[in-house]
Amino acid sequence: MIEFKNVGLVYPNGTEGLKNVNVTIKDGEFVVIVGLSGAGKSTFIRSINRLVTPTSGELLVDNEDILTYRGANLRKLRTKIGMIFQNYNLVKRSNVLKNVLAGRLGHTGTLRSIFSMYKKEDVALAYESLQRVNIAEKIHNRADELSGGQQQRVSIARVLTQKPSYILADEPVASLDPPTSHQVMTYLKKINKEDNITTIVNLHFIDMAMEYADRIIGMRAGEVVFDGPASEVTEKTFEEIYGRTIREDDLRGGADES
Amino acid sequence: MATYNLPPKPVKSVWKKLKAGLIILAVIALYVWTFRGIEIDWGRAMERVIRNFGIVIPKLFSPDWSAVGEVSMKILETIFIAFAGSFMAAILAIPLGFLAAQNMSGNRFIAGIGKWILSGVRAFPDLILAILFVVAVGPNAFAGVLAIAIGSTGMLGKLYSEVIESIDMNVIEAMEASGANKIQILFYGYMPQIIPEFLSYAIYRFEIDIRASSILGIVGAGGIGTMIIFAANNRNWNEMGLILLAIIIVVTVIDFLSARIRRKIV
Repeated sequence: MIEFKNVGLVYPNGTEGLKNVNVTIKDGEFVVIVGLSGAGKSTFIRSINRLVTPTSGELLVDNEDILTYRGANLRKLRTKIGMIFQNYNLVKRSNVLKNVLAGRLGHTGTLRSIFSMYKKEDVALAYESLQRVNIAEKIHNRADELSGGQQQRVSIARVLTQKPSYILADEPVASLDPPTSHQVMTYLKKINKEDNITTIVNLHFIDMAMEYADRIIGMRAGEVVFDGPASEVTEKTFEEIYGRTIREDDLRGGADES
Repeated sequence: MATYNLPPKPVKSVWKKLKAGLIILAVIALYVWTFRGIEIDWGRAMERVIRNFGIVIPKLFSPDWSAVGEVSMKILETIFIAFAGSFMAAILAIPLGFLAAQNMSGNRFIAGIGKWILSGVRAFPDLILAILFVVAVGPNAFAGVLAIAIGSTGMLGKLYSEVIESIDMNVIEAMEASGANKIQILFYGYMPQIIPEFLSYAIYRFEIDIRASSILGIVGAGGIGTMIIFAANNRNWNEMGLILLAIIIVVTVIDFLSARIRRKIV
């Protein structure tokens, strides 16, 4: 369970990233955060694994305030939170297997990892994760030989190998074309249901948010301006979240092609 | 064909034109004045140049093949000096490169110190370093190795730090986000991104060091340079021809190999 209690974040340059955020995310939920760019979606998501640190309030993950964590505590927290990025963030010169195994680093001793002596189970887990996102045949290819959609699937496999309780996805489809976007979202949804991993995804495409989310949280200027089940959401809601009328480029489209 | 009306060029003011003209005039005047100050009999100078050319050039092109044994030993020594020197530098430059890279030290001040050390080292020409080390360890190949090592460390450290600064930090962030510790991130995030470039630069520097070490012998730091200076002093142009031939062959072969290897690595 993740609980934001009066969380605020002011960046050193004075920008308010989060303003008095109160949100509780229950285990197994598939939450989509929507909002325009600069609305604080990334800041929200990155607070949970402390890539950014809120400056006020309390942030509880599994009933422990994580804002005070440092060093070993922080790494331990991060091993149970997987993250997926807009630009995949794979090591381009390393092969797919090595990239996927990197998800296991937090569970592996330093010496073992330096000499690449992964446990048999870990390698098996990496292979199984790749199979789950249907890209196992690329296991020995270098990451830069893959297309964007394939790289994003490898990064999902990396997160799966980490065996997390939470998955954070920061604009995972923003660099992909519509059919590939739907494919990636479908995998995330499937993993959420099958493994009961709480998943929080940042999106700015409203049609995708409505299609995949159980619950939608709308943000504007660092504040949560909407929070409710996806079934209650209409275009009107989005117009309120965005503070303007919905435009063509707020939609990803292509749901039928995938 | 469509014609485009480009926006008009800004008109240069008369004063600007005048200024440019004045500067050109001043430079020409400086040259004229300088050359008038040289007291030289141009006729005699040209005559000597032509005469010496007639003697030296044909000899350079008829190398003294009897010296092949000695020359090849010395050229081998030159290659070894360059190799040992660049190898030492390739390793010494790693910590300095990390120190000088802003994204690693995370501190402008520390990175500044690293950059300052590297500039300081680079400021010494190879020959000056060689002279220093000949004084310190005696006139032998070891002095040459040290001179090459120190000289190359300056450049490699600088290039390494630039490689480190240009890596994809998002990858590092992804690893931090998965709970990897600093040493694991070094091995899984940094190393795959930097090692190929490091190697490539080290090999490129070896290429330069071959050329540098071939003249170090002039100050007594070992290698083929010693033979160059003796041949020149003794006006032994046939032997000089062979030495130059050997240097040209070695440098060309190593340039070629280095280019091929470096293409493979990156």
